[in-house]
Amino acid sequence: MSNIKLGLLIFWPTFWTGFPIKLVFVLLLLAAHMPPWEGTGFYLLLLISLPVDIWALGLCARTVMIERLKVDPQPGFGLNLWIRWAVFSAVVLPVIQIIVSEVTGVAKSVTSSIVHSFKEGLYPALGVAEQITLELVMWGSVSTLVLILCTLSWWYGLGWLTQPFVRNARPLKGTVEDQANFLDALRIPKDQPLLLTAFTGAGVVLVFVFWTLLPSTTPHPHEEYEFISEGQKEEKVEPKKVLKEAEKVLAKAELVVKKLEEEKSGPGGEAEKPKATNDAPTQSEKKPETK
Amino acid sequence: MQPKLAAKARCTDREVGKISKVIVDPLSLEISHVVVRALKGQGVDRQVPIEQIQTVVSEEEIVLRCSSEEFDRFPQLERDQYVTIHDVEIAHLEDHLHVVPGEVLVPLPRLEQGVPRRTFFTNMTHAIGMLIALPLAYPVLKFLMKPMYKPFDNAWFSVGNVKKIKKENIGYQFKFSRGFKEAFMPEQQIEKNIWVVKATPEVQKAVYGGKDSKFFGDKGDLLHVNKANSPYIGFSGKCPHLGCGYKWRRTKNFPDGVFLCPCHLSFYDEAGQVIDGPAPRALDVLPMQVDAAGEIKIIDVEYKAGVKKQIRLL
Amino acid sequence: MQEETPPVNQPNPFEKVIEFVDERVGLKTIQAKMLNEPVPGGSRWAYAFGSVLLFIFILQVVTGILLMFYYVPSTDHAYDSTQYIIHEVDYGWFLLSYHFWGSSAMVVMVFAHMSQVFLWGAYKKPRELVWLVGLALFGIVMGFGFTGYLLPWDQRAYWATVVGVEIMDKTPIIGDFLARFLKGGPTPGQMTLSRFYVIHVMVLPAALMGLAGLHIFLFRKAGPAGPFRGTPEALKAKTDYFFPRQIWKDIVAMASVFLIICSLAFIEPVVLLEQATPDPGDYHPEPEWYFLFLFQLLRLKIFGGEFGQLMGALAIPGAFMAFLAALPFIDTNPERNIFKRPVALIGWIFLMVFILVFTWSSIINREFLD
Repeated sequence: MSNIKLGLLIFWPTFWTGFPIKLVFVLLLLAAHMPPWEGTGFYLLLLISLPVDIWALGLCARTVMIERLKVDPQPGFGLNLWIRWAVFSAVVLPVIQIIVSEVTGVAKSVTSSIVHSFKEGLYPALGVAEQITLELVMWGSVSTLVLILCTLSWWYGLGWLTQPFVRNARPLKGTVEDQANFLDALRIPKDQPLLLTAFTGAGVVLVFVFWTLLPSTTPHPHEEYEFISEGQKEEKVEPKKVLKEAEKVLAKAELVVKKLEEEKSGPGGEAEKPKATNDAPTQSEKKPETK
Repeated sequence: MQPKLAAKARCTDREVGKISKVIVDPLSLEISHVVVRALKGQGVDRQVPIEQIQTVVSEEEIVLRCSSEEFDRFPQLERDQYVTIHDVEIAHLEDHLHVVPGEVLVPLPRLEQGVPRRTFFTNMTHAIGMLIALPLAYPVLKFLMKPMYKPFDNAWFSVGNVKKIKKENIGYQFKFSRGFKEAFMPEQQIEKNIWVVKATPEVQKAVYGGKDSKFFGDKGDLLHVNKANSPYIGFSGKCPHLGCGYKWRRTKNFPDGVFLCPCHLSFYDEAGQVIDGPAPRALDVLPMQVDAAGEIKIIDVEYKAGVKKQIRLL
Repeated sequence: MQEETPPVNQPNPFEKVIEFVDERVGLKTIQAKMLNEPVPGGSRWAYAFGSVLLFIFILQVVTGILLMFYYVPSTDHAYDSTQYIIHEVDYGWFLLSYHFWGSSAMVVMVFAHMSQVFLWGAYKKPRELVWLVGLALFGIVMGFGFTGYLLPWDQRAYWATVVGVEIMDKTPIIGDFLARFLKGGPTPGQMTLSRFYVIHVMVLPAALMGLAGLHIFLFRKAGPAGPFRGTPEALKAKTDYFFPRQIWKDIVAMASVFLIICSLAFIEPVVLLEQATPDPGDYHPEPEWYFLFLFQLLRLKIFGGEFGQLMGALAIPGAFMAFLAALPFIDTNPERNIFKRPVALIGWIFLMVFILVFTWSSIINREFLD
């Protein structure tokens, strides 16, 4: 099998096998306010990815070899293969990224000037939308082509690194049906209840962690929104109102004094205690009435 | 065993034909006739009642009671008086009908043989399905419960002045309006009322039992104390039976007046105690202050209707 | 058929209930017929898109119903009630954001599912009816996106809808009637909101559930098409049942999509603009992302003017949909291997690139407007 095909055939399922598991951790990181594309979140994600990727690569590489190449690789080859792939990718992928971004930058400026001079020289009526699309198609095709070539080389390298493991593998025996069964049996764990309980238990624990982290109000509030539970509205000072209130207070105080004098003078007066102390709180408490 | 299609039919003397069709009674779901295609001649279909079958020897052969001459006298099948079971829906017919000889088989895929494989995928599917639904359970519950338990509103409202109260131990109604804001709705003004009694010491005793009445907020903080000897007592305007608005009325039996609820005829005296009717408790006393100028202020407390205990709602 | 090994001792209460129902309903037979469907060539991840669509739809219904507990479809309360859900109700922001991103996920999955069916040639005889019902479902999903977008009644919602309905107005003969029907009058207002709400929460869900049921029924009648290559021996060796194999793959795909939507809800929770006003102000109306390519297409000069707009907005998309509907009747070649159908393959790639280029152009175009 060609290197490119081998590389792609193994890479594709490996990526997607690890994907749901990593997604769980991405979600938890997001809930914990740690975006997984920068800072601590990114490094934590890388850390989690290590065991997940090693496992996924071993599983998928073996599957592809059994299913397509009819060979069964040596046990424990997964880690070996992963190390080679990881080192290779760690070198090649940044190089590809640099190449593609450089090419894209150059292509963008070149196409921009081409289209610009086309518009100025030949066809001034070229619309904005047409211009945008034209430029995009021009530099887009160049960038896409370069990206495809780079990706194919990457897969070529991955495939090439895998070939020794294929050569060391044992050929598979039995009919097509036997082989399908063999492959299938690999997917069933020996101790089902243990795996199931562990898996479900871990899942439930993670759900509880998620619940603890999940914020009950939006992490992105609208700038003009006033929260109901908090907002003690700031009162605007209205001079007339303040004067009126002051008048009322004075009038009440007068009554209090009057009553006190009455009590003092008359023993059979009302035993009602003047609630002078309530005047002060009532003023501020009147405001919450309108809530 | 039921007679099978394509089985040979043999009379007392010789073989007469093959079962070509079977007729079923749609109500009893029993086979009523077999149709035998005669061997000789043009192969006429004859309708043979099921009672004529002496034995079902095997899947391939049945024996009839009659002779072949009697067989020739059985009526011919009038096919257009019948429909097949694919043209009608007869409940549970397939469960009772086993007239097809042998079985039609489909191979069980080899990958599906063996219970451990199926159960593993079955259980993992259930596990993952549960783990998808679970994260939503708690947020959804809290989401739906949001408005259910609102914090109490302990604002003071002015309802009027005591100078309106002329006599003691008589109920006087005080109406007031208050603002009411629900969630995102604009604030509304609602009209409410309370009843105030200027109480003599006996009535005070009947209401407070000599003890000061304390009101607490939902965090256990002390909001207000109604003194045991306060002369003015305010009652919530809602009857504790089912929340109707009650009135102070003079009646034949109560010439001085009584609190009377028109909905289910609960009667309360001037101390709010239940005289008669289905009310489970006395009238609810409100936290009340009367200031020096005689202004009455209350906290608009509402309690759950229809129960003996006072459970605060608002 | 073999489900579980039968119990040796007395059946437990649960099994007794099953027996009770089975005697009256034929439960075990129904279950066997529904679940033990052999998938030729084995279950595949590529076949999961349809089930994932169903899953997303169910969750949209669940989150949608929850939102209905608080949302008020009147022009004076729609915005406030939506803001209330986002800011005040516990986890309201999460459920609303899930509902929003779920609708985008549904569109993505519809594209994926249609592409898979197209590439596998599973629209050909005898599956023409499945394809046609599928196209109707596609239209309904687009309708959901369009009607739901208006409900928050902020500037984005209001103006995207206005533009969309104005485009429909350009349809010859029935355009004015259609536009007035949707708007509930000559101009957008409360009537529009009420109509869009009813269509979104009652009419379309009912239509979708009915047609989805029909779609699944027709699919089961025709049987799964299976892979487009492989020797009969290999196909037979790999054949397994819908349950549990395909369902297992389906549910892992569902879980992944669920996690993606939840993550998007965190990365980009729903934030409304200001409340809708008749004056767009600084806001540049834009439809949802999956209509952007059409939106950009209409900016091209060749689609300027009345006739041009008719062509660009209605005639060409309409013709394309008609072509898709006619596809099983035009393409009668029974060959299903995509690598042996170069016209189909190139056509599909061209369409995907076309949509991608114009969507991207639309995003670049934003910078020109600011």
